[in-house]
Amino acid sequence: MKVLGIETSCDETAASVVDDELHVHSSVIESSLDEHRAFGGVVPELAGRAHVMMIASVVERALVEAGLDPRNPDIDAVAVTSGPGLIGSLLVGLSAAKGYALAWGKPFVGVHHLEGHLFAPLLEMPDLPWPMLTLLVSGGHSMLVLQHGPGSHEILGETIDDAAGEAYDKVARWLGLGYPGGPEIDKLAQSGDAKALQLPKSMTGDGYDLSFSGLKTAVVRATEKQGGLAVEDVAASFQGAVAEQLLRKVRQALEKNEVKALSLAGGVAANSALRRGITELGDEFGIPALLPSMKMCTDNAAMIAAAGVYRFQHQGASPMNLSANPNWQLADLS
Amino acid sequence: MTVLLIETATTTCGVGLMVDGNCEGVIVDRNRNHTEFLTDGIEKILTAHGLTPRDLTRVVVDRGPGLYTGLRVGIASAIGLAKGLGVDLVGVTSLEILARGALDAGIRGELIALIDGRRGEVFAQHFTLRDTIHPVADPIVVRPQDVATAVESWSSVHLWGDGVLRYLDVFEGLTNAVLNPLEIPPLEAGLRLGVEGTPVDVVTPLYLRDPDAVANFTTREQQS
Ligand SMILES: [Zn+2]
Repeated sequence: MKVLGIETSCDETAASVVDDELHVHSSVIESSLDEHRAFGGVVPELAGRAHVMMIASVVERALVEAGLDPRNPDIDAVAVTSGPGLIGSLLVGLSAAKGYALAWGKPFVGVHHLEGHLFAPLLEMPDLPWPMLTLLVSGGHSMLVLQHGPGSHEILGETIDDAAGEAYDKVARWLGLGYPGGPEIDKLAQSGDAKALQLPKSMTGDGYDLSFSGLKTAVVRATEKQGGLAVEDVAASFQGAVAEQLLRKVRQALEKNEVKALSLAGGVAANSALRRGITELGDEFGIPALLPSMKMCTDNAAMIAAAGVYRFQHQGASPMNLSANPNWQLADLS
Repeated sequence: MTVLLIETATTTCGVGLMVDGNCEGVIVDRNRNHTEFLTDGIEKILTAHGLTPRDLTRVVVDRGPGLYTGLRVGIASAIGLAKGLGVDLVGVTSLEILARGALDAGIRGELIALIDGRRGEVFAQHFTLRDTIHPVADPIVVRPQDVATAVESWSSVHLWGDGVLRYLDVFEGLTNAVLNPLEIPPLEAGLRLGVEGTPVDVVTPLYLRDPDAVANFTTREQQS
């Protein structure tokens, strides 16, 4: 079985062909990121416009690279992200997916974007043992998920305010750095002193929920009070505090749950402090820690196709009148 | 030629089908639910004629101006369908469809095609209708009141489109104007226009406005 996946929930236009053994036959990604840089964040209308211009060539390339005929591909279904995400962006992928499915007479499957992220580690390590604990951190989401098996996920905790990536962007903007903030801060942090700034520990209780907006405010206050701080030191202190909170919650979850593997997902998984910390926790608890490659961490369509395979096999096709759901909660997925 | 038309530029969504030169248009939704009803509408109109998508030889889509979200739903659907089938893809503008509809209805003389642009504005274009449609100016974004003022002194003018429907109160007072407040550009006219159109690789939506963020940013840059 082969599935064509399409992803347009934010600023990436992506298409990919994946089979039911989770082999990736092609994965094409175009991004409108450069158009958003000047605005310090993704501009929804610009993203929507870019998707329309790119979708046809991205899908065609994904099919050709997978060795399929773009007019009559030997696939079993078309899967597409139907939420959550930017509504104007989601609708482009969703509408195009319906058009392709109609043209080819193939079933069509709506996929939850975050379930896609949770499938991403499996594409690079299909034999991971279950249950697996996944820290999913991106510009839009931050959560700790206990996966009992493919498609079976329990959200242990999630951010109560900003996503981790969002906090990075806000602090970067405050420091006058470029967008997106994650890579910029990570780079500066390498040569900074993480103890230069005293930042509060947040979410110190037993629960697994996360919070980053207080941290961002604390950075603003501290730098206002202590003038002349080196930007490297601020970056290192902030990054240290974010990683401390995330890794502390992962440790708590590992201590209280029977977990056989640990994985990282989402765009913030590129962060060096987080990758180092997750590797160390895996060693400490004696379980495999999977750090997916960057192309699997950031938004891509292979993960959507993989989740699409699972959903199609277990629930069949979605109705052709399916609408996009920009606020679709992972917890509402059954 | 077997041609499908996708029309999503206004709050009303429609599909059209031309088989052996005969045109049929069907409204599939009136409440901005283009995403839910468009594909269903396409399947139904094809089935009603005993056809499948593989029988199509051309897909025509309204590329605006109009509601941005609706346009993108229609254009992305048309792209998926046409590219998936490997058939011609043609974009026509909502304002040209209105003009063509008026021409086909036997109207001659001055016509302003008007599509509701929200925010108190309309997308407008001036055409002169003779044997064919002649655009007098490029499409613009304008306040309906300014359109009314501009045509006041003309001997006669036809105003067509959902922009007339939306701002009926503004245009009703014009004694020299013949109003045609259509909720959707005429589907048969869209098909006829699309049959004559040149196929393109990618249909570019006609937005006529910069995204807000870009407009604000440009204003800021110019002021500083
Ligand atoms: Zn994502």
